[in-house]
Amino acid sequence: MEIHQILVSASQGDAITASAFELQRLLRRVGPSDIYARYFDPSLIGEVLPLAAFARRRRSRRPTADLLIFHASIGEPDVSSFIRERPERIVLVYHNISPARNFLTYDPAFAGLLEGGRRELELLRGRVTMAIAVSDYNAAELREIGYPDVRVAPLILDVRAMLNEVPDADTANHLATQIPGPVFLFVGQLLPHKRPDLLLKAFHLLVTYARPDAQLVLVGAGRLPRYRQALQSFAQELNLRAWIAGSVTAQQLVAFYRRADVFVTASEHEGFCVPLVEAMAFGVPAIARGHAAIPETMGGAGLLLPEDDDPALMAEAMSAVADDRSLRDELVTAGHRRLSAFEPDNARATFLSHLADIA
Amino acid sequence: MAAGDTLPVASGCMKAPDMDDQPPAWQRVEQLVAQLRDRVEQRREEGAYPPGLEDDLDEHFQRIAAHRVLPELEELNKRLGALDSHMGFHPSRIPSGSRVVGGTAVHRAVSKAVARQTQGVLEQVMEFADAVRAVLQSTVAALEDPFGHVHADLVGQVDHVLERMSHFERGQIDATVAHGTLRELRGRVEELESAELQRQVDGLGVRLEELETAERRRRFQPWFSNERFEEEFRGSHDELLERYRDLAAHLEGQAPVLEIGSGRGEFLELLSDAGVAASGVELDPDLAKLAGDQGLDVVAGNGLTALADRDDASLGGIVLIQVVEHLTAQEVVELVSMAAAKLRPGGKMVIETVNPQSLYVFARAFYLDPTHAQPVHPGYLSFLFREAGFDGVFIEWRSPPPDDERLLELSPRSAETMRENVRRLNQLLFAPQDYALIAIR
Repeated sequence: MEIHQILVSASQGDAITASAFELQRLLRRVGPSDIYARYFDPSLIGEVLPLAAFARRRRSRRPTADLLIFHASIGEPDVSSFIRERPERIVLVYHNISPARNFLTYDPAFAGLLEGGRRELELLRGRVTMAIAVSDYNAAELREIGYPDVRVAPLILDVRAMLNEVPDADTANHLATQIPGPVFLFVGQLLPHKRPDLLLKAFHLLVTYARPDAQLVLVGAGRLPRYRQALQSFAQELNLRAWIAGSVTAQQLVAFYRRADVFVTASEHEGFCVPLVEAMAFGVPAIARGHAAIPETMGGAGLLLPEDDDPALMAEAMSAVADDRSLRDELVTAGHRRLSAFEPDNARATFLSHLADIA
Repeated sequence: MAAGDTLPVASGCMKAPDMDDQPPAWQRVEQLVAQLRDRVEQRREEGAYPPGLEDDLDEHFQRIAAHRVLPELEELNKRLGALDSHMGFHPSRIPSGSRVVGGTAVHRAVSKAVARQTQGVLEQVMEFADAVRAVLQSTVAALEDPFGHVHADLVGQVDHVLERMSHFERGQIDATVAHGTLRELRGRVEELESAELQRQVDGLGVRLEELETAERRRRFQPWFSNERFEEEFRGSHDELLERYRDLAAHLEGQAPVLEIGSGRGEFLELLSDAGVAASGVELDPDLAKLAGDQGLDVVAGNGLTALADRDDASLGGIVLIQVVEHLTAQEVVELVSMAAAKLRPGGKMVIETVNPQSLYVFARAFYLDPTHAQPVHPGYLSFLFREAGFDGVFIEWRSPPPDDERLLELSPRSAETMRENVRRLNQLLFAPQDYALIAIR
């Protein structure tokens, strides 16, 4: 069976790209399987093929593959017209599309792409044989816009491979020798819908009123320079001990998880929250707000705060999880138990059984 | 939260994951969140989170994010300028040259033939372009307006008020300054007739009042009675009469005398015994009543306000016994200038306070009273009175530490230097604990 995957963009450290590679390993057990992307990191040349190459190699209007898997996460007219015109059967994997409103002030063009992504989802509806959502939350969105056959399969995550990774020595050394206080870690792109601003506000209250020795680390790419700059100035003006680390290597990320005392995110939009699962794997107790698919990913194995924007409540939660030994133990134990729900073999089996239904 | 301060909900549950009788996870989380909310409330009540702090943080971030818009507007303006220079459509700007032999002539002939149509199309395009340009210009103007210099100036002032408020939140500062700036801001905003700014400034006013209320609440309000405190630490009634008899003698013939912070009224009693008409003001209403019950003329209230209410040159004496160390630096300077105004020529000021030159006093008396703000140095206080125009300013050293607590001096036959050293050490460590300042107007 020949199944290829189509992505709008592929980059290192991106959860969707990572999941496509995981799927590729699985699909290659049953036949040829390549990954095509419209845009991708030069470092991925060879592993990811340009979308234009697909059209060149397969000039035929007749189906040349059994299935095409399209990962939807943002709008891109080239990709969506390509998908609409291909004769192969299409499986849509839906990672969710960030809400455009958060981006309007910082990057209207990007907001336009996101808005376009939602419209394209509707246009693709007639062409998609089956949709697979990575969470119930995403599935509900697809059903809402009229997708008839929507299945749920969790992302294939191999956190065990991450646990075996050797932490970056310099980062680990710096964290061990230069930072005495508790470390609060956020992992995720520094984008408005992830609300790093709210996290900084909560952290400000935490260090002012409860834990002056606390350290905040924000790990993740900041693709909107203006927004990232604003976060940096905000942290500086409040005189916060906040390390905005930006994009890091897998080894550096492991060093951060190993040193972290608490994982915390203020995000209000996630189709599936990968860093939460990673934190569970590293035995780091997690705090998040009950938005979008977060409660689903967390599955009761973390401190789930209500949806409201309350930095004081968040600071209190951070202080409680850092200081209360028994609460920490409880959350860590629950996290470890929760990991079984993301057992990669189960996720693979679920995905394959969905494909088998239409193959 | 202090380490080890465990949450009752969390501790104990989920320790045994296979126990069936524990509440479901969502319920525990709800309880936990409710507890966290309670704790936030508790902090608020303790004055930790000043009112409006969260809004301040939000606005702070918004301001930072919004400031970055300016460079983009500049860019937009530049492009708009470039667009203007490209305006001006005319058939003559349509190139008619050609590399083909005779081509130019053909082009000319064709353009001549369709000149009317070309002109018509160009006119329509010009009309459209003008309209687009007008829209663009007004859009940029509208975008620019909120960032114009008037607005930036106002934002600066709002920042100033916010900054003062945040100082206010962190410690005691003079809210009157914030009020002043706010008043000025109100005036300017009224001139601008902007409802939105008006609303924001009104909001600031409300916030300031809330902060003041919060500040008042933070003030020291002990549950114990000041009378008991005085008995415990100042000495018995008779001891105090004995202790202050000599100071009271300074005021003979100086009626009328006003005592600020008259406490239980011992000093007024001494004055009354000496036949000097005197009245007192006491902040603590219980103490004021106690003194009043003994037939002394004492009212409850703020002494500085009471002094301000007196007519100029109407007093023969002003007394403050162990009071100035409770005042802020600003209150002390105000007290001195007011005393200069209210005392008639020849009037006397008598102040007794702890002596900061005595290290002993800090180990013993000073921090016993939680309401002591800062000790006032005799050199500084004398300077203030001289500057305020008092003629004679004298210091009397009072309350030397008991001899049996001082270091033993060696006999004269031992080394003379040793003796001198011990004397100096005694002077440093065991200087008199109080001093009295007497100033004559």
